[in-house]
Amino acid sequence: MQDETKRIADEAASLLREAKTREEIEAVRVRFFGRKGQISLLLGQLGKIAPGERKAAGAAINAVKAELDSAIAEANAGLRRATVDAELREGAIDVTLPGRARFQGHRHPISQALAAVRSIFEKMGFEVIDGPEIETDFYNFEALNFAPDHPARDMQDTFVIDPTTLGSTGAKGPVVLRTHTSPVQIRAMLRSKPPLRVIAPGRVYRRDSDQTHSPMFTQVEGLYVDRGVTFSELKGTLSAFSAALFGSRTKTRFRPSFFPFTEPSAEVDVSCVFCTGTGCRVCKGTGWLEILGSGMVHPNVLRGCGYDSSDIRGFAFGLGIERVAMLLFDIEDIRNLFENDHRFIAQF
Amino acid sequence: MLTMAGLEVSQIQRLGAGLEGVVVAKVLRKDQHPNADRLSVVLLDRGGETLTVVCGATNFQAGDLVALATVGSTLPGGKRIEAATLRGVQSFGMLCSEAELGIGTGASGLFLVPASASPGTPLQEALGLDDVILELNVTPNRGDALSHLGIAREVAALQGSALKVKEAPSFQTAAPASGRVRIQIEDATRCWRYCAKVVEDVAVGPSPSWLIQRLDSCGMRGINNVVDVTNYVMLEAGHPLHAFDLDAVRGGTIVLRTARAQERITTLDQVDRALASDDLVVCDGAGPLVIAGVLGGATAEVSTSTRHILLEAAAFCPSTVRRSRKRHGLATESSFRFERGIDIDAIPRILDRAASLLVEIAGGRVLSGTIDAYPTERPRRTVVLRDQAASDVLGMPVGRAEANRVLNALGFKEIESHGDAVRWSIPSFRNDVAIEEDLVEEIARIRGYDAIPITPLRTLMPRAGGEARASVEEVLRASMCGLGFDEVVNYSFVSPSVLEAAHCGAGAIRIANPLSTELSAMRTSLIPSLIGNLIRATRYGAQGIRIFELAKTYASRSADQGGDTPASERLSLCGLLWGRPSGERNWIESRATVDFYDAKAAVETILRALRVSNPKFIPHEGLLFHPRRAAGVQVGETSLGVLGELHPEVRDALQAPAGTHLFELDVTRLRAHARTVDKAQALQRFPSVLRDLAVVVDAATPAERVRTLILEAGKGLLARAEVFDVYAGSKLGEGKKSLAFALTYEAKDRTLQEEEVAEVHGEIVAKIGTQLGGTLRGSPSEASP
Repeated sequence: MQDETKRIADEAASLLREAKTREEIEAVRVRFFGRKGQISLLLGQLGKIAPGERKAAGAAINAVKAELDSAIAEANAGLRRATVDAELREGAIDVTLPGRARFQGHRHPISQALAAVRSIFEKMGFEVIDGPEIETDFYNFEALNFAPDHPARDMQDTFVIDPTTLGSTGAKGPVVLRTHTSPVQIRAMLRSKPPLRVIAPGRVYRRDSDQTHSPMFTQVEGLYVDRGVTFSELKGTLSAFSAALFGSRTKTRFRPSFFPFTEPSAEVDVSCVFCTGTGCRVCKGTGWLEILGSGMVHPNVLRGCGYDSSDIRGFAFGLGIERVAMLLFDIEDIRNLFENDHRFIAQF
Repeated sequence: MLTMAGLEVSQIQRLGAGLEGVVVAKVLRKDQHPNADRLSVVLLDRGGETLTVVCGATNFQAGDLVALATVGSTLPGGKRIEAATLRGVQSFGMLCSEAELGIGTGASGLFLVPASASPGTPLQEALGLDDVILELNVTPNRGDALSHLGIAREVAALQGSALKVKEAPSFQTAAPASGRVRIQIEDATRCWRYCAKVVEDVAVGPSPSWLIQRLDSCGMRGINNVVDVTNYVMLEAGHPLHAFDLDAVRGGTIVLRTARAQERITTLDQVDRALASDDLVVCDGAGPLVIAGVLGGATAEVSTSTRHILLEAAAFCPSTVRRSRKRHGLATESSFRFERGIDIDAIPRILDRAASLLVEIAGGRVLSGTIDAYPTERPRRTVVLRDQAASDVLGMPVGRAEANRVLNALGFKEIESHGDAVRWSIPSFRNDVAIEEDLVEEIARIRGYDAIPITPLRTLMPRAGGEARASVEEVLRASMCGLGFDEVVNYSFVSPSVLEAAHCGAGAIRIANPLSTELSAMRTSLIPSLIGNLIRATRYGAQGIRIFELAKTYASRSADQGGDTPASERLSLCGLLWGRPSGERNWIESRATVDFYDAKAAVETILRALRVSNPKFIPHEGLLFHPRRAAGVQVGETSLGVLGELHPEVRDALQAPAGTHLFELDVTRLRAHARTVDKAQALQRFPSVLRDLAVVVDAATPAERVRTLILEAGKGLLARAEVFDVYAGSKLGEGKKSLAFALTYEAKDRTLQEEEVAEVHGEIVAKIGTQLGGTLRGSPSEASP
């Protein structure tokens, strides 16, 4: 029996040395451990051995069994190591080559600035609404308290639509490209009862084109009408907005101005975001940047929309988004925003 | 201070800036330079000190006053003056020309200082240049602030000081002015008041230098002393005046009427103009002299031979002046003020002032009296201010005493006061004040908006609707950027010819007064704009482009389509892809250019992002896209948009590069079909069975048709079927292609048995055979080559 186990151990060791694949190792295992394998045969012969020697024989078989087990495991491990080694050796690549190129999309700076502005007002509870860009004289001017021949109309040089190209919409009076988003105020008030707290972003048009004027630009109109709204609240709202957009250290200044549809009216300046108020190129040395027009909704406008102006008051404001984008990103020429040059947009 | 009171100071200009080191010097002697023919050596008195300067100019002599730039000074042009030795003679400074001083254009000789100055005086002072010009942006409601008087009134109110106005003397002569001319107002709705004065025996000539200098500071040119006086008083008091040569006023009559048919006038700018029946004209007995409030004509113009002057000051209806100004394209200082409103009550006083200044400067005598035609006297407006009003609007307490102080300072007069309100009379120069809120603004303005406290916006508002609307747009922008598209923002107006070339001209709305024809048509599609962006990009050598725009398109619509807007406006999402799939040459990318399926991938991603269910892509034949390489996207019967390769004809017409792919989607409809996640689907618990199926069909059979058939035939067990390979080759036979599908079978309630899958699979194969004539690839019935 001793001889037999010795022979088995030797044979297994020699076969495992020869085995180069997982299958060959498996074949060795089956040869010794399979149902008709040599170890099984040996165990089968145990019964024929004299009871006195049986114990020793069993121990010997167990010993060779354990030896074989670990030899097979060792062979498997060796094989796996060799495979991994080969995988590591042969899998070399040049990690300095660039990755697969992929387009990276960029949001236009105007849309980024608009998103920033909108999100601030949305947090203050302003609802986003929309209105037409091709608008009647009524909504764009008349309902906003622009008298027909008043020079206030010259504040906004207007594109007029060729009426013969309009079809039969039955629009009364001249049709224009809206010069501001303010007509959306009127549409909102005619549609809903107060309280109303809305912003209306969108494109507006003025016949003007130079380094700081574009014939098309983007405005955000704001309107809050309710009982007892005050100028003080207007100041609070727009000061909070400026601080949220340009940083908490931004100072806000309100100056009297004139818009036909607000009374009192105010221009809103913020302390220059570049020089923080000491005076520079962008603020033309004044330390202030004009960013908003605003005011208390004119009683004529409220009454025209069927609101009781003795009870209901409101404030309105308008903000140029290109101006905001130019300040946020230090863009000098407004025309850059509309050239749509990939090299420009890809910066943002 | 003015800016914070609503009169924005846009520019502050110091006159004579840079002339700090320049003084008046008197020429004592002028000698030939010993070593240079063209130079002279000048001995100067600069006020108690004599010095020599070498100079090349010749237009002066001993006794003249000249401008000496002293050693150490810097001229406006940046030239620094230092002591120098010129050809052996020492020179202590430089004598300057107008151009060198920056006060004129004369460069050929020295600037000679008027004899009234004394040597040693700083030049700024001697020339009246020690002054500052404030340029104000006056809002169109404040006609009263378009004069020095008006600004002085504001400053007085802001500072709480009293305004002093010089009283003009009255003139008495034996013959009154009314004997010289008759005034007749025929159109009292357009001409509200017309006043005139007569000044006889004036000497028309150039104005004194101080007057010219002041006009110049205000941006006006000196013409002659009479015209200059009218302009000066206009700047001073804010009221436009006109002067006529009285002897040239035919018939001794001034008539205010609208122009008659065929009537013409030659205005001072030498243009012969046809007048409209809406034009108010100032006429004499024979015809029009002036387009009222706008511009005078050549007839009765004041010239050097004029002896007697008729001075006019009037109140014309602002909108009449405005319409005439626009009609004739004549914006003048006069029309600007009339449109913004003048002080109708001040007219006689202003005429007195002008007449007295005229006599002071041009001599002559003023005939007594003012001829005043004032058909309907305009009453002063009154406005009631409730004590509570300012506090209510501004959100801070404003006491009656405070309100009264401000309004009194601005010239408002208290008429009567009740328990809680005061009735105020509005001064005649404040045409902009008509309601209580206007008075509140005056109080806020003068007290300063800074005094109003800051109150946070109150209570949150419930929101509805708006957020979802905005968020679809945000999803679209985010998806497009994620897909590698750059966002562009193009003008809404494009060239009509480009729209036509892209077959997008139908229903296009035109602008009547565009900046140029190139920007005159409202775009009906975003596609032409994006093609323009692409062409620009290829010009600078881009190898691949992906851009998108999210904006409205515009078209005319008929009234029966409903809605209360003048035009149809639809929000549109447009994407363009061209060139290299990754934008640049890349060592690992094998494809050279994008194709239809890149465009489709973008559209599919967007549809998935919005969870649009069951979109269909259907071959699309139009004029804008390649008819074999374009698809329409539909949900049910609703078209969401189109995608495809640009039609070769359009490509060539617009000079776009080959291989331009585009898509345009209607965002309003996308929004209508976008879904939110209402109920999460539980995960499949039982294993799926995967089978591949390759069928050979006619090459023209759309893959989607085969797929639809597979899904129908596999109903119940078949969960998904996706194309994973398309193959066409000679092995399959002419006009054939093989489509390979990956099929996923699954059941929600059990593990599928081989047999039931095999049965369904068999049914699918059979259906493809009977309905499409398709065969299994590699099966015996496959046509062999």
